[in-house]
Amino acid sequence: MMNRRQLLATMTSATLLASTRDGWAQTTSVFRIAAFNPITGAGAPYGAGMQKIILAAVDEVNAAGGAGGRKIEVLPEDTQTDPQAAVLAAKKLIEINNVQALVGIWSSGVTLATIPLANDANILLMCTSGAPEITTSKINAKRLVYRFNTTGDGFGKAIAEACAQEGFKRPATMAYNNASALGIVEGFRKNWEQKGGKVVGAVVYEPNQPSYRSELQKVLAAKPDVIVMGSYLPDTTIILREWYQTGETQKWILAGQAAGPDLVKAIGLEASDGLFVVNSITNERSTAFSRYDAAYRKAMDQPGIANIYAAMAWDMVTVLALAMEAAGPNANPSAISAKIREIANPPGKQVSSFAEGKEALKSGKVNYDGASSSLDFNNLGDASADFELSVISKGGLSRKYVVKL
Amino acid sequence: MTAFAELFIGGLMSGIVVGLAALAITLVFGIARFPNAATGDAMTAGAYVALSASAVTGSTIIGGLIGALAGAALGVAAYALVFRKLAGRSSVANLLASIGVAFGIRAVVGLNFGYQQQMFQLPLVRPWHVLGIRIQPNDLDLAVVAAITLAAVFIILYATPVGRRMRAVADDPGLAQVSGISPSRVMVALWALAGSVSSIAGVMYGMKTVITPEMGWNMLLPAFAAAILGGIGHPIGAICAGVLLGTLQEMATPFVGFTYKIAISFVVLLIVLLLRPQGLFSHAEGAR
Repeated sequence: MMNRRQLLATMTSATLLASTRDGWAQTTSVFRIAAFNPITGAGAPYGAGMQKIILAAVDEVNAAGGAGGRKIEVLPEDTQTDPQAAVLAAKKLIEINNVQALVGIWSSGVTLATIPLANDANILLMCTSGAPEITTSKINAKRLVYRFNTTGDGFGKAIAEACAQEGFKRPATMAYNNASALGIVEGFRKNWEQKGGKVVGAVVYEPNQPSYRSELQKVLAAKPDVIVMGSYLPDTTIILREWYQTGETQKWILAGQAAGPDLVKAIGLEASDGLFVVNSITNERSTAFSRYDAAYRKAMDQPGIANIYAAMAWDMVTVLALAMEAAGPNANPSAISAKIREIANPPGKQVSSFAEGKEALKSGKVNYDGASSSLDFNNLGDASADFELSVISKGGLSRKYVVKL
Repeated sequence: MTAFAELFIGGLMSGIVVGLAALAITLVFGIARFPNAATGDAMTAGAYVALSASAVTGSTIIGGLIGALAGAALGVAAYALVFRKLAGRSSVANLLASIGVAFGIRAVVGLNFGYQQQMFQLPLVRPWHVLGIRIQPNDLDLAVVAAITLAAVFIILYATPVGRRMRAVADDPGLAQVSGISPSRVMVALWALAGSVSSIAGVMYGMKTVITPEMGWNMLLPAFAAAILGGIGHPIGAICAGVLLGTLQEMATPFVGFTYKIAISFVVLLIVLLLRPQGLFSHAEGAR
């Protein structure tokens, strides 16, 4: 029978042995990434599709022989669209699972909360978030953060253009109190005032309230002819329902993340009729998009255009894999990051998939033309896209025109 | 002036929902003597069951009643499986166990119903205009439901034998046991009552907003604040405190803005507790 000292020694050595297991796994050629997506919370309409498409894209990369001599391994996780929960999950992914990239973060709050962790661990972070601060030189100092979406600023500019084109004169704004929505609304205000207009009312509201009637009351008191809102699906549903029940008749311009078939299902055909939606558009005519679309239909049984964030997630994996291939075997995340602009921006042979790019990299530079946009990153990690203005009528979204910035 | 009246009505309706949740909390707090963190998720579960039931039966009222019954069943199940075992332990142990029960309920609800938002399919109606103030007919319906619920709780507590026993246990558990009151029967009745009140609060919250698995947990903090403000163990106090906090919160928005209105209700709680620590309606208790 063991005495206490022997038991303690056995337990300690067993723990040490168990913890080195992970270290041994590192020397085999696997590049671990985390599919860090909003399966629950405000991003839930998009998170499951994003995660499934990341898995599908990684399968494609591995089937083509891996990238930079390594296979990619994916650890799926849920951010819960909540910064506090996401930080805990990110710590586990970074410290225990030793991932080298966080891929597919949707919410700005989560991105801003996890960037310090990713920077400290020197790993890549790829997001679809809108908050302008994400790609500033202060926060993205190590240039390891890449944004595959337009900033909220760009969004706001597109909304201001659309507003001017539709002939509105008295816009008011409502914004969910977080970085992304405030970015959109601030971008709108800046660009609208540059055009010589004035924003007649501005309200910022908190999440998880039993009612938004007083917020709505304040906005309506300014008598706007259009209300521009940066929001998410649950609060948009509540606010629009309460607005419709006031009997007021102004127009609304919503950001695409909050408006879509789910919103129509929630508030009904009558209340959703005539709502304007501004959204960034995918690179719809590209070959990469049709490949993404086929993969999305297979994984989710829905058209790829239904989830533009999934298109961005698809591109994230392809861009990461091409950069790994270009950086060579056993490159660390900083070396891979240095290659991202090289493979995504011109000059180079235009490619639309990882297999095509891997082949082309043997004979020269490539320029990946993505499913979500042409993916020409600037030096702070921002890609840019075009926008569309759509109108909801009879329960369906139909594009009115494209807004180019 | 009409602006303030409309703010008041909005705050009144929010306050009623919070007040009902606070009622469920204060019942458990008064009789089982611990803060029940599973109230929020009981609200969520009740809302989901009511949603499914109203989809199946086609009537929201029947759906709500079935939701209330499901809430009662959930409360009794929680008691039988978890809280009965912890009967003699400290309130902290019970609180932690209730947090665990909350997570469990939320996970089951999420797995069963999915994480996408769901809504009660209620028809959208235009408001009535009374003296220039807009009044929503749906609000009146919800106020009537809340009044009926409060009346039912009162009748149970003050006009039935089991209610008398519950009040006896709330007053002095030791003396009640010595007098021959069987604790388990009282507890089953208590948890059934608290569970159904939580469900009704959840259904009302779901009707005003959207139904997601996290909705109840988000309501916990305001509900706790209202329960404490009203005095622990006082049903009327809970509802009054909920209404008070709701109306003060909304009516303060022209002065403090919407981001800080949540802070206002906690400032009010702070001031009242500083001046009157037992809450609005409770008696001061001393120990000798």
